[in-house]
Amino acid sequence: MAGMSSKRLQKELTKIQGTLPPGITLVSAPDLREWQMDIAILDNPIYPPSDHYRLRFQFSQSYPIEAPEVVFMAIPSNPERKIPLHPHIYSNGIICLDLLDSQGWSPVHNVESICISIQSMLAGNTKAEREFDTWLVWVVMAN
Amino acid sequence: MSRSPISRSPRESQEPTFTRSRSHRRPVPTPPPETPRRSSLSAEMRGMRRLEQRRNMEESHYLNCKARAQNYNPPIDLRLVDYVSPYDSNLMCPICRCPFVDPVVLTECDHCFCRDCIRQCWNTNSTYNPLGPRGNCPTCRTPAKLGSRSATSKILLNIVDDLVVKCPKSDDGCKAEVRRCEVQDHVNIYCGYALVECLGENCELPVRRKDAAQGCLHYGVSCLLCRKELQKWKLEIHWRSECPDRRVHCETCKSTVFARDLDEHSKQTCPAISIPCPGKAFGCTSRSRKGQAEIHAKSCTFAKLAPIFQKQQDRLDEQEVAQREMSRKLQVLESGFGAMRDILNPPKEDTTPDRRSAGSTRPSLSPRDMQANGTTSSFIPNAQSNFDFSDPTAYADLMVSPHQPRPSASTASRQSDPTPDVPGPRLTDLPEPFSFDSDLASPAGFPPPTTDGGPYASPLHHLLSMHESLRDEMSRISTVLSELDGRHSMQSLNENLRTREEISYMGAQVAGLQRQVHWLTSAQLQRQQGRSGTPGASSSSAMADVGAGAGVEAAVSAVSTAATALTGAARVANVGASGSGNGRDGAPMRRRASEEGRTKL
Repeated sequence: MAGMSSKRLQKELTKIQGTLPPGITLVSAPDLREWQMDIAILDNPIYPPSDHYRLRFQFSQSYPIEAPEVVFMAIPSNPERKIPLHPHIYSNGIICLDLLDSQGWSPVHNVESICISIQSMLAGNTKAEREFDTWLVWVVMAN
Repeated sequence: MSRSPISRSPRESQEPTFTRSRSHRRPVPTPPPETPRRSSLSAEMRGMRRLEQRRNMEESHYLNCKARAQNYNPPIDLRLVDYVSPYDSNLMCPICRCPFVDPVVLTECDHCFCRDCIRQCWNTNSTYNPLGPRGNCPTCRTPAKLGSRSATSKILLNIVDDLVVKCPKSDDGCKAEVRRCEVQDHVNIYCGYALVECLGENCELPVRRKDAAQGCLHYGVSCLLCRKELQKWKLEIHWRSECPDRRVHCETCKSTVFARDLDEHSKQTCPAISIPCPGKAFGCTSRSRKGQAEIHAKSCTFAKLAPIFQKQQDRLDEQEVAQREMSRKLQVLESGFGAMRDILNPPKEDTTPDRRSAGSTRPSLSPRDMQANGTTSSFIPNAQSNFDFSDPTAYADLMVSPHQPRPSASTASRQSDPTPDVPGPRLTDLPEPFSFDSDLASPAGFPPPTTDGGPYASPLHHLLSMHESLRDEMSRISTVLSELDGRHSMQSLNENLRTREEISYMGAQVAGLQRQVHWLTSAQLQRQQGRSGTPGASSSSAMADVGAGAGVEAAVSAVSTAATALTGAARVANVGASGSGNGRDGAPMRRRASEEGRTKL
């Protein structure tokens, strides 16, 4: 299983290092456990095209069978990366997307298709707001 | 295993005896279950049979385990091998991204996956299903189940089986490239790098197939390069991929380096990698190869200025540290100074009970006053509270205190008038940094020694700081004194020198005069002797002698007076020099005296 996961990630990495759809760039992939990608939303006035958003992928040993953990990262400076305003993205960067959930995940997806999905999710957004209440409620309930 | 009972059952039926069946238990046994049912054997026999079955089962299990343990080459996962021939992306399983391995077509949507991939995918999120594995198609999410093997096209199987792959032992050195369907046979039968059992006597350890003919290689040796102890048969693997002292080939610069240095080499020392300009920290963004980086560094302004910038930065840091230290010192000194002022203008009365009432009587304390109350224990008397205090005796106490600034002022007038009408004697010298409130608050009008809760939290610390500042003052005074002393001694030395010069000059004058007088007297004596030598002139010569003697006496007395004048002048000069205060007055006096001496001469 572990061998299959790294084999597949290796193949994906070679493909990503070749060509990528517009607005998606590979930032770093130091190993086959954690990658960072930058995405830009090209045609939505809420998110100016000059703003890039940093995504962090964390792959488990059983990667293509299980979904990777994908979150937005906030980097204070050099380069500055913010967490995009979206009703389904919490202020801590967690993304509410069925694709990343164990029910919605399918092993056919890959890093590139996840990036495209998130890109289109942001591109179709019309409300520049955050529903942070939900996750605050979670936190309160957890404590 | 599953086939054995079926194939064996006819033979078993011909051999009904119990002893015979026990005799050949070596080949895979399992006695037939039919026999006990058919024959009417006793209960004892049935128990024996069960025991026999049990033994057979244990034995076969042991043999299976041994066979599995001796199989040093596990079945190859074809999804993990490297493919040599290029393959179409349509032959790729969307889950593992490899050419299909044992492809299976789903019933509803005809999407194709590797059998293992789709099993793994469905196992994770669905439980056991009696109708066989089923789930949603990973590609189109249609509910489906696995199609039969015949549904998969033979053409597809042939295409994927014809792909050429590298031997899985290629990392160990096998250069074979075989068709994918043959790779398992290659490893099991032909590959020289696959493991087999050692041919040596009493040795069951694994050895590579190509080394098996060399006899038993399971003895310890040590690597010539890194001195690591290991077994002989592992040495080749060690040299190939493990030894840190082996030579490896750098792919970027085409040179050989030690494996242990490869990491550093590929990051820093390799001449083919690009390194940043030395002025990177100061704004140069260029990156170039190591050889060209030096050329760039010669022309790059940032790189040239980098050491200077670095030096400046270091100096700035140093200065900052020094400044911080100085400001801390300054704070300490200031607090000491404040404490000194407090001591010079001591509080008139202890107001601890009054201050307690101040909290209640004064509704709004300024933050500065709050601090004063909090940080300095009893050095700052809170006069405001005294005035607010309506006790007439306390008020009278304040009236009689010597430094009371406003003995006649009433509470109302004070609050309306911020400037003190009769300030204390030292109040005028102060820089007046006080607010209205603190003006009212302290009789001498001094702020707390430290602002913002400084290091002096207790009276003991206060005293110590005062002591320190006093000591500083003392040392300052002593330096001033010594400086003054030095100046005065220099002055007197100068004056003394001049005086001595003049005295010696006068002595020379006196000596010259003496010589003249001597010459005159001797000349006159000779003349008298010459006259006395002629008869009849003795009386006159005696007379002249008397006159000459008188003249000489006059001259000698004049000289002696000059000498006394000189000594007098010297004394005056000495007095002038010794008197430190009136040295300036002494100089003209002495000059006058010396003029006197000269005129007398």
